[in-house]
Amino acid sequence: MPNSGSNSAVAVWSVLRKECRTEWRTRYGLNAALLFAVASLTAVSFAAGRLGNRTDIMAALFWIVLLFATLASMSHAFVREVESRTMLLLRLVATPTEIAVGKLLFNLLFLCVIEAVTVPLFMVLMGAPPVRWGQFLAVLGLGTVSLAASSTLVGAVIAQTRGRGALFAGVSLPLLLPVLAAAVGGTREMWAANSVAPSLKLLGAYAVALLAASLLLYDHLWED
Amino acid sequence: MSAAPLRLAGRDIAHRFGPRVAVRPVSFDVSAPGVVAVTGENGSGKSTLLRILCGLLRPSRGECVFEVDGRAVEPRRRRLFTGLATPELSFYEEFSAAENLAFAAETRGLPNAANAVRLALEQVGLTPRADDRVSAFSSGMKQRLRLAFAILHEPPVIMLDEPGSHLDDAGRAVVEHIVQTYGPRALVLIATNEPREMALAEQRIELSGRGLERTA
Repeated sequence: MPNSGSNSAVAVWSVLRKECRTEWRTRYGLNAALLFAVASLTAVSFAAGRLGNRTDIMAALFWIVLLFATLASMSHAFVREVESRTMLLLRLVATPTEIAVGKLLFNLLFLCVIEAVTVPLFMVLMGAPPVRWGQFLAVLGLGTVSLAASSTLVGAVIAQTRGRGALFAGVSLPLLLPVLAAAVGGTREMWAANSVAPSLKLLGAYAVALLAASLLLYDHLWED
Repeated sequence: MSAAPLRLAGRDIAHRFGPRVAVRPVSFDVSAPGVVAVTGENGSGKSTLLRILCGLLRPSRGECVFEVDGRAVEPRRRRLFTGLATPELSFYEEFSAAENLAFAAETRGLPNAANAVRLALEQVGLTPRADDRVSAFSSGMKQRLRLAFAILHEPPVIMLDEPGSHLDDAGRAVVEHIVQTYGPRALVLIATNEPREMALAEQRIELSGRGLERTA
């Protein structure tokens, strides 16, 4: 008889490890994301020099770089499964929620790796003023969770549709605008030495809402 | 009449993809152990019926009964009791055969995943190529890997969709060995039109139609 008590945590961990191993072997998204981040920051640095006193522009630039560096890669989490026809294998060994949570955790990890390179590079090339690390990390952390949750959800929804690439951008935009607005606002206020609490509240509430909606939706995503 | 450990029944099951009829209404009642052939012309819905039975697809009409020890198993849990080998099943090309099966075994939560992988590969004759990446496999070797995937967790229901496709004589012998090994203790469904594979079965579910009809 099978092990009918298939442990969800074990399945999620297994999916996460599989994603990491696939990324490590193919470098499908990592190279492209890092290349974009480094290239765009270097280009802006050459064109505009150091933006030390323009913290409003820097806040926007920081999140734009982060968003575009990661978004294209993260959308592939599900699309790659469909295009390589491995979705059936996944569906036979795990529930949709286990698959999606495993991929969400991978996207979070992926974002953290990109940020580990992008943040120091941004600070140096843009000549950013000193950050208040507690507030900065809180905005960055909640923004990261929201970005990962929304891109995983949209990736899962559009995975089995036609015209996935174009659809991803179209469906993601309304979901990402509140994240971008709150994250850019929070980062700007952090540099301006103002309170970041309103932005943190919005980001936190949005992240919780996205995660809750995702967990409710995932099990019904691929019902034919 | 005592309840069978595992029972699989279809009551007037039919399916359509949009205007296209995929499975014409079919009813059956089979239980483990045993070997059942699912036959029908190309496009009659053999593969679609297997997907319905293992819970991947909800039928447009009719009801599918999947009972273990007299208790109904809901569609989303049927994968735990089912091993499916179908041409639609693909593996991660960047992983080896053993890594693909290990991923499946670990995700399914098998207690001794490494041993399960070793046994499954042994049974399909892939042990010498266990560490080779799937991207280097021939069609026949991929088909053997599908068979290994189906028996990996020793499920009480094994569904083999065109199991002999791409296989040479030795590969077909592997299919026969699997059916003869698991037939006495599980329910084995073989979707096929091959006389040699049909001969392995004791019962048959015959699907009518060619799946090409379109209705308004």
